[in-house]
Amino acid sequence: MFRIVNATGGYGKTVIIRDVSIAVDKAEIVALLGRNGVGKSTLMRFAMALIPALSGHVEIDGRNAPEAPAKRAKAGVGYVPQGRYVFPRMTVTENIGVAAETNGHSGRLAVETALREFPMLRPKADDLAGGLSGGQQQVLALARALATKPKILLLDEPTEGVQPSIIDEMAGILKRINRERGVAILVAEQDLDFCLSIATRAYVMEKGSVQLETDRESLRTDKKLQQQLLGV
Amino acid sequence: MELDYLATVLLSSLSSASILLIATIGLAVVFGLMGVINLAHGEFLMIGAYAALTATQYGIPFVIAIPIAIAVTMTIGAVVEVLIIRRLYGRLFDTMLATWGLSIAFYQLAVLIFGTVTPGIGMPQFNLRIGNYSLAGYPLLMIAVAAVATVFVYVLMTRTVYGMKARAAIQMPEMARAIGIESARVNTLTFAIGCGLAGFAGAVLLPIVPATPSMGFAFVIKAFLTVVVAGPVTLTGSALTAVGLGGGASVTASFLTSVAGDAFFFLITAFLLWLYPLGITAKWRTKM
Amino acid sequence: MNLSEKLYQRAGLIFPILATGGALAAASFIDPYLAYVATSWVIFGLLGLSLDLVWGRGGLLSLGQTAFYGLGGYFGSIVAINMAPLTGNTLLWSLPAGAAFGATSAAALGAIIFLARMGPLQATILSYTFTLLLWSLTQSFTATVGQAVVGGDNGLSNIPGVVVGFGQGAEALGPVEVFVTVVIVSAATYFLCWWLMRGTFGRVIDCIRIDAQKAELLGYDIRKYQIANFSLAGAIAGLAGAMFAGWANYLNPSIFSVQEALLVPIYVLVGGLGTLAGAFVGAFAIGGLSFYLGGGAVGGQTTLILGIVLILLVLFLKNGLVGAMGELWRRTLPDPNAAARDAGAVSIDPEVLEGILVEAAQQAGPAKRLATVDLYKRFGGVIPVNKISRTFEPGRPYSLIGPNGAGKSSYLKACVGIYMPEAGSVTVGQTDATNAPIFERVHQGVGVKNQKPQIFGELTVVENLSIAAYARTGDKPAAAGISRQILAMLGFERQAKVQASALSHGQQQWLDIGMVLCLAPRVVLLDEPAAGMTNEETRELSALVRTLARHTTVIVVEHDMEFVRTLEGHVTVLHQGQVFAEGDIAALRADDRVLDIYLGRREHV
Repeated sequence: MFRIVNATGGYGKTVIIRDVSIAVDKAEIVALLGRNGVGKSTLMRFAMALIPALSGHVEIDGRNAPEAPAKRAKAGVGYVPQGRYVFPRMTVTENIGVAAETNGHSGRLAVETALREFPMLRPKADDLAGGLSGGQQQVLALARALATKPKILLLDEPTEGVQPSIIDEMAGILKRINRERGVAILVAEQDLDFCLSIATRAYVMEKGSVQLETDRESLRTDKKLQQQLLGV
Repeated sequence: MELDYLATVLLSSLSSASILLIATIGLAVVFGLMGVINLAHGEFLMIGAYAALTATQYGIPFVIAIPIAIAVTMTIGAVVEVLIIRRLYGRLFDTMLATWGLSIAFYQLAVLIFGTVTPGIGMPQFNLRIGNYSLAGYPLLMIAVAAVATVFVYVLMTRTVYGMKARAAIQMPEMARAIGIESARVNTLTFAIGCGLAGFAGAVLLPIVPATPSMGFAFVIKAFLTVVVAGPVTLTGSALTAVGLGGGASVTASFLTSVAGDAFFFLITAFLLWLYPLGITAKWRTKM
Repeated sequence: MNLSEKLYQRAGLIFPILATGGALAAASFIDPYLAYVATSWVIFGLLGLSLDLVWGRGGLLSLGQTAFYGLGGYFGSIVAINMAPLTGNTLLWSLPAGAAFGATSAAALGAIIFLARMGPLQATILSYTFTLLLWSLTQSFTATVGQAVVGGDNGLSNIPGVVVGFGQGAEALGPVEVFVTVVIVSAATYFLCWWLMRGTFGRVIDCIRIDAQKAELLGYDIRKYQIANFSLAGAIAGLAGAMFAGWANYLNPSIFSVQEALLVPIYVLVGGLGTLAGAFVGAFAIGGLSFYLGGGAVGGQTTLILGIVLILLVLFLKNGLVGAMGELWRRTLPDPNAAARDAGAVSIDPEVLEGILVEAAQQAGPAKRLATVDLYKRFGGVIPVNKISRTFEPGRPYSLIGPNGAGKSSYLKACVGIYMPEAGSVTVGQTDATNAPIFERVHQGVGVKNQKPQIFGELTVVENLSIAAYARTGDKPAAAGISRQILAMLGFERQAKVQASALSHGQQQWLDIGMVLCLAPRVVLLDEPAAGMTNEETRELSALVRTLARHTTVIVVEHDMEFVRTLEGHVTVLHQGQVFAEGDIAALRADDRVLDIYLGRREHV
């Protein structure tokens, strides 16, 4: 359904990811594992067309995805960046509303759905997003991406700096959304537990390329693999 | 001092402050939302004034000449954004220099087309009496116009989908594109709206400030300082600083000299910048 | 090196000499009226030069140069009006007085801007406000100082012309002689600036523009340099103003006007930002254009053309005329950065390093310990450094590890002074450094290498090292000696003249480490030094860090656990801004709690 093919890219002259190919099937949840600085975020930005492709491309439903990020978003790619880039001087409601309206959905309905799905946002609905705590911003960024009604959701380190109880809640919501709406999810993570709890398959990255592809079971049991992830 | 004199001074100072605010709003939108210092803002004001003047000379009523002025300046603004400003986003000082070039080019074009002296249009005659003093009504009307214009921009930017897109596109341009906002198109429109507001100011102030090619210079400096002192909460901040600085300068001028008024304006600006290097609203937690 | 390269190297000296000679030669035959007009272009060029010093080199777009220009003009003229009758000569009074007054007012404004560490926009606006304030104040300012009458809007008249002779009989010069005098004064000023900006002062100013934080991390009190540069520019503007007054015999407040203030950046941009000589080229280009158009067929449309030229310059010719010509010329020369490509892998001889470190200890004293007590730093709701108390001693390296966002880099930044802590204390050796600015901590012996390589990309490799060494020694030959040593140790001799930006990422890391070594630090803080290095380079680095730790206190923040293991040092695990665990790497590796926080498992936390 969603494929990144031979992705090579980086910033300026520096190539960070080299020849990376990844596929996510319809309604599948796939994890992208690896230590800091192996190129997970760069791959996510490549998938969203936020960095120029030196080579390689992205396919959605077998067709080449458009090259402009705005068009790619409209083609069904939802993106939750690392560091939760919410619009700081807009309210929670506006953050969600503008995402829905831009893609031709009702902003009011989207906000209602989001507040139902993420009750923790309800008391904050009219607050500026910049004033929310880290965990709340992360949930908001997720709610905003969902408001665009994506076919595939790209999550970049969604658990970074988020307290454990919210991480568990987030895992539950992602599984439900995946089940009920059939949204495919690609999640780049360092948090192994989180990945084990939602993903069925994983790619492990090392120095800008995919080192191996593995499944949930071997991740759970293979102590050696775990230490390799830690990098010792 | 008599009470009626004091009231007169206060009202006319408030009216001066409102005139400054009207002239500033467009700049506030462009600088606050887009981070572009449009030194040609004053010339857009001048273009608006000439557009309205020309329209009235063709027999079009003043009230209809105002929207014409807005349309003309918006169109020119959109063209300028596409040709020049678009290439310079994020390069604050380059936009400043390029719009300064634009400003002197527009000025000279106006001299070529209209000459340096132009007939004014009569001020609508109605007066307000306070005690022994009489004030011209039209400048006082500007207090209401400034209020309406501020509220209009506030509603446009906070209550409409366009307003949300415009703010999103400028707060986090990359993220805005990642949720499907065509940032480039939205930015063209925002710049055009800023220029349109300048055109509106030029037209609506025409009875008070006659159209001359150099009228822009007079406005842009104070408008510009007002916006920089205001800081990130552009609209509310600008309204506040316009009333504070413009009103304060006007009160000072009434009691001392007009030079003292200007000196007051610039000194307080320098003082505020020293106190709040990022603008007085840097720590506010409100939207606009 | 061929002739073309030699010429290129000295272009800033040779062409201005030729131009000065040409102008003086032309004075013998040009029309007096043209000489009269061209004199003003030279003066505007000088004014542009003053802006280029602060903008092109210093990095601050000042719109206050016309203020210093006007103030220098007024003050110099008032002094000249009163004193010149004593000597006959006018320049003797007006030029020093104008320059001194320009320098003083610039120093005052510069102190406000730089001591407050204002942002670039605020600094520009404040300088602009200063000019506007003068503009409105001078409109009605009237005063009588001796023979001089300052008449507000009516200006200051009766300013004596240029007289170089002495005694009662000395007469004002004619237009051509004035032109010659102004050219000589301006040329002298230009060559002084050229010499100054080519030397260490100019290098430091360049470094501040390129990376102010790094300049401060080398130990330079950047504010002093910035204020000095700004004052120098103010003096030149004041000098130009005094000459302008003598040329025009009259001054009025329009010298402080908006139009005047904004014209100066145009001269600089047209000529070429940062080239110094470009300001004169720009002033002559604009002046000549106006002169030609003023009398030509399109008469009166100079302003229109100026405006369009400015827009086109900003859009398409960012480096101006001189910059563009320099670029064309450079293309014909061999690439000075070619040597960057054949740089071999860095391999450090431990004995050489040992020698350098022993020598550094002789000069800078014994290693110092670094201690923090309850160090605390918060940003809004996030607390990256939450009451960390640690003491670091010389001997073996300390590693700080921890998952993303654990507060490692923030802790390091709080120790260095990049972040000012809210509570707790930092001690370097026996000295409390909690509230000391960065450069003072560097003087106390702290040497820092941040995560990204912080090098001055526009400078050559050897210049990078010597500017670091000079920060410590304050002595040019000594600095050159130290930088040669470090250069040889890194094996960069063949790359000495290469621009630092042309080096690869890994080489830039080495250069940055080399700059830190030039400081002979007693405490060394390294933030992810191995990032972007190859395995081979990482091994070399590990050896270097171990040797370094025998002579100084070394603290390394690192993600690369393999690298940390090879350091064989003491390891501290940070988590959520606090010390989570410590010990050696083998023990920590077996610790399930450490695995948990790294992998995000929650069973044990």
